[in-house]
Amino acid sequence: MLEQIINWFPEWARPFIMPMLTIAIVLQVNLGVCSYLILLERKLSAWMQDRIGPNRVGPWGLLQPVADMLKLLLKEDVIPGHVNKFLYVLAPGISVFTTMLAFAVVPFGPVPRNLSATDGQFPYIIAPGVDLGLVFIFAVTSLAVYGIILGGWASNNKYSALGAMRASAQVVSYEIPLGMSVVGLALLTGSMSIEKILLHQADAGILGWNIWFQPLACVIFFAAAMAEAQRLPFDLSECEQELVGGWHTEYSAMKWGLFFLGEYTHVITISFLTSILFFGGWHFPWIAEPDSQYLGSTLVKVLVLLTKSFAFIIVIQMLRWTIPRFRFDQLMGLAWKVLIPLATLNVVCVMIVKQFHLNEWWLLPMSAALFLGAGLIGTQSSRPFARRTSEPVAEAHGHHAHAH
Amino acid sequence: MDWSKENELLVIPLLLGCFAVWWLMPSAKKRPRIVGVLAGLAACIMIQGMLLPQAGDYIRSVLFFVFAAAAVISAGLMITDRNPVYSALWFALVTLSVCGLFLLNAAPFLSAATIIVYAGAIIVTFLFVIMLAQQAGTATSYDQQPIQPLMATVVGFILLGVLLFTLQEWGAIDGTSTNEHAEPRQFIAVPAEIQPNPLSQAPHDNPHEIGSLRVLGRSLFGDYLFAVEIAGTVLLIATIGAIAIAPRRAQGTL
Repeated sequence: MLEQIINWFPEWARPFIMPMLTIAIVLQVNLGVCSYLILLERKLSAWMQDRIGPNRVGPWGLLQPVADMLKLLLKEDVIPGHVNKFLYVLAPGISVFTTMLAFAVVPFGPVPRNLSATDGQFPYIIAPGVDLGLVFIFAVTSLAVYGIILGGWASNNKYSALGAMRASAQVVSYEIPLGMSVVGLALLTGSMSIEKILLHQADAGILGWNIWFQPLACVIFFAAAMAEAQRLPFDLSECEQELVGGWHTEYSAMKWGLFFLGEYTHVITISFLTSILFFGGWHFPWIAEPDSQYLGSTLVKVLVLLTKSFAFIIVIQMLRWTIPRFRFDQLMGLAWKVLIPLATLNVVCVMIVKQFHLNEWWLLPMSAALFLGAGLIGTQSSRPFARRTSEPVAEAHGHHAHAH
Repeated sequence: MDWSKENELLVIPLLLGCFAVWWLMPSAKKRPRIVGVLAGLAACIMIQGMLLPQAGDYIRSVLFFVFAAAAVISAGLMITDRNPVYSALWFALVTLSVCGLFLLNAAPFLSAATIIVYAGAIIVTFLFVIMLAQQAGTATSYDQQPIQPLMATVVGFILLGVLLFTLQEWGAIDGTSTNEHAEPRQFIAVPAEIQPNPLSQAPHDNPHEIGSLRVLGRSLFGDYLFAVEIAGTVLLIATIGAIAIAPRRAQGTL
């Protein structure tokens, strides 16, 4: 059916039809899902804090996102005086644009093999066949820091600028463990294409999911991605319980909303990536195998992937009220002293296994040993610190002396 | 005389471009910008015959023109803008446009790595420094004028001229690596057909694999092993040096 629609268009326009359709669907679904994720987040927060949460608009508060959207759109859009107007307006745009662009290489269903742009098969991915999908995602998300830094600077407010400095230092630092953590996957699969990593796991069955071979990489990836998205426990740029706000202090109405749209899109992308890279994507034993051809199997595969991703979104939102926030030096220490060395050692483990043709299952005990070793070193080395903090007066005095 | 006649296509646009950039540089006296813009346009139009790719696929040509024009215009704006913050942002745009050209030339890894390293980290560091030095909205004359506009422009264009001249010679000698139907005074920035590096030792069994990660890895750690190792060593030394220079916490600077 889709092929007939495509053939109805002139020849030169045909390659554009499928991508346009996919982009439109992804964009619409993403916007809708984002607004309901905000409701879900508020409800979850309420339940975890023994409150009821939003319940006034519509049954069980289900129309709350509509009300929120209307409020954001109709609110007075204040642009403070003395701001650099062009960059001030540009910053939220960059924030949304980069996170949306990253989704271009994330498959959201079973990508057909031998896909072409004009044969009428629905691709289930905006940009099929990108050989370096993972690197593309890191390249695009590394541009997201411009939204932060420009937003903070253009506001012409010292607190915004300081917030932007902290946030961008955090985002730039956590890019490194994020990139390092998936190198092992690329080595195991022999490809950096997200579709190929997914198919590799689907062909191998549930015992071939990457989580069995790279559990440590999964933890590092998840933590670093949360820090990139500035979700709790890494939301130092925001600290919404005790500070005014970070680099978006001066933003209001929909421009503020765009920053949050960017954040939620980022959360969705993280959840999709975690479930695709480590948990087999649309594969699930018996009901969604690569060779299952029953009626509606494609739909089932899409639903499996969506369910997995939804589970990760729930985990991210529950972590919000579970783990306390890091201090800024702890945040930087976590990236540079813990995650980066661990990710490097993890890559070395994969290289050893590949070089000596060992069984891939060796990676599971290796990852566990690395994790336990890091935990042991961490607890041992933090003991002197605990002793130091128990004598706060002497410590403060010491710093005072140094300053002079 | 013979040499200058042969290379006038190269020399005249370079001189024009040099004049255009010098004219557009911010200075104490207000100059009409249109003169510089017109000179720059004339230079681009004169040199385009040597740089344009062969007409191919229309999507490809459109993309090439978009990226190339964006790169040249942002590069011009980057060195002529009065505000250092805008200069850094134009620099980011130059990097992105050039990465687009890399992508068109079947070098996706180079393109992605350049975005991550340059646009994602180095220019962000520039922005850090500039933004810490000056707040938005404060009208300071600090850092708004180049110190030696003439020297900088001339030296920059001499470098560009030498590069173009070498490329021209190289394109004429080694026709296989750029384009089979290369005309004498033309070099092709974008080959119409992607071909493997003729000097490479790495196997190219499958023409579709050119530019893929596998072939890139073979090439980097086969053909260019020593260069890669030396670059790695230099980076390691630089890292150790940076750590050695950085002030200790005990010295009270942090």
